[in-house]
Amino acid sequence: METLSIYAPKLITNREYIASGHRACSGCGEVLAMRYVCKALGRNTIISNATGCMEIISTPLPQTAWEVPWIHTLFENASAVASGIECGLKALKRKHGYTKEVKVVAMGGDGATADIGLQSLSGAMERGHDFIYVCYDNEAYMNTGIQRSSETPFGASTTTAPAGKASMGQHTWKKNMAAIAAAHEIQYVATSCSSYPFDIMTKVEKAIKIKGPSYIHILSVCPTGWRCPSNSTIKMGRLAVETGIFPMYEIENGKYTLNIDLPKLRPVEDYLKLQGRFRHLDKDNTAEIQEKVLEEYNKVKRLAAGNKAK
Amino acid sequence: MKREDTIEIRWHGRGGQGAVTSAELTALSAIHENKFAQAFPSFGPERRGAPVLAFNRISAEHAIRVRSSVIKPDIVVVLDPGLVTLINVVDGLKPGGWLIVNSTRSIDDLQSEFSGDWKLAVVDASSIARELLRVNIVNTTMLGALIKTTGVIKIDSLKEQLEVKFGARAKANLEACRKAFDTTVISSITTGGQKKVRTFAVENLAKWSELPVGCVVTDVGNTKQFCTGDWKAQHPVWNDSKCIKCGICSLFCPEFCISQQKDGYFRANEFYCKGCGICAQECWTQSITMVEEA
Repeated sequence: METLSIYAPKLITNREYIASGHRACSGCGEVLAMRYVCKALGRNTIISNATGCMEIISTPLPQTAWEVPWIHTLFENASAVASGIECGLKALKRKHGYTKEVKVVAMGGDGATADIGLQSLSGAMERGHDFIYVCYDNEAYMNTGIQRSSETPFGASTTTAPAGKASMGQHTWKKNMAAIAAAHEIQYVATSCSSYPFDIMTKVEKAIKIKGPSYIHILSVCPTGWRCPSNSTIKMGRLAVETGIFPMYEIENGKYTLNIDLPKLRPVEDYLKLQGRFRHLDKDNTAEIQEKVLEEYNKVKRLAAGNKAK
Repeated sequence: MKREDTIEIRWHGRGGQGAVTSAELTALSAIHENKFAQAFPSFGPERRGAPVLAFNRISAEHAIRVRSSVIKPDIVVVLDPGLVTLINVVDGLKPGGWLIVNSTRSIDDLQSEFSGDWKLAVVDASSIARELLRVNIVNTTMLGALIKTTGVIKIDSLKEQLEVKFGARAKANLEACRKAFDTTVISSITTGGQKKVRTFAVENLAKWSELPVGCVVTDVGNTKQFCTGDWKAQHPVWNDSKCIKCGICSLFCPEFCISQQKDGYFRANEFYCKGCGICAQECWTQSITMVEEA
């Protein structure tokens, strides 16, 4: 055992910026992702958090789980508030000789990012504010009881896109938020997953160094909404990556890098069959999903290979 | 006003265990028998694993106009064994009423914890559910115990509702229900036992009038006062002889409650642990096992 040189406790700071006693469901992958993000961000951070699971579970008034400055915003304006804070910090530096380097971070769920808050996010990225946007994507509005969002994957059964005789659940494909962010030609866009702590932390550390907007999209496993056992959170995230359903990549100044490039992808059934929200899918649906997944994965792979050739 | 012939049921469960479904199925079965019935849940902002309540009212004669939660139940059903020592499940239970508990403990052992003029029924629903349904979701299993003890609904009318609700899975659920019907043990509570309620640190929360303007919370990280440890149905136990001190358990704990001891081994803080089981699942050397709460 002495030859094992990598020990998690030595690689990761003990300091937590979110306290225990938060109200997340048992086995929540989203709060895990948030924990890693905050560990990488460190103390000199101001967070603007859109409404959603992470806001509700961390701050049941009069309590708060946060140990960094944090403000609750509405669904639609997390990025707008972050822009304001960033401008305020700039003004402090210009007029009052404030010198500390403080990173402004906006956070939101997939609903706050891809649906309701997309306009303010787009605006903030276009104006070039120096901030990081982190999207915790659990693929539906889990906080209010599993309603579909534009990030809900094809075929998933939700309460507003239920599977039954007339429907097979969500009939649209997952919105590609990373591509939307990349289309703003910002310096750094990345996707990650709650089951890969060191990947999340490396990407957040990269984003901190960038002057200007950066966007990180983190797939966060939700055992409640995905209808899978609470102990399978980490496994499910790994499967999402290993099946190619959620490729983890970075876009640095337009250059794609595929962070985990597996020689052979696992079949999507491995991922789908473990989740109650996909239970109703038949062979044809699965084949359709498999085809689309490979198409999307190969698209990213081609883009990443194109960079290497240059 | 509640009429005399109305039977009121209170379900104690945890978020995700299906107490709400139990109540729903009971009401639907009663309605199927041309009775009047209602079913509704009650819970706070807490999530999966937190204690929740669900209620039923059933009347053979009259339409039910009451819409408030059940305070004085005729029947109390406890889906989670851990809840018996955690909250006062017999609160308001009427004399002569039924207390139906899912537990692995013997009826004599459980009897010693309560004092009052009630009838007690015990069934090991978790084992039945795990055996027949392969999950620890005991809602349909506990319906078998409810039917056996009180007969508020008939098993045939439940069968139909199960088929509507669960489709292909109705068969296994009905089997679990029947097995519970056969194995439920009944007794009446006579001895004046003393209920042991586990005590956790008392929360020290600010009153609304003490909150600063704008709902600013200046006491950082004060959710630490809040005990989430009572949500769990299982807790992790470490076998240190297998442990290689890699810390994966601590890394993947969503409650951030697993830390390294002075001797280098890891332990979970039971005050926060919600019993999700990620640590046991992810442990490389399988040195962690999840053990049922008493």
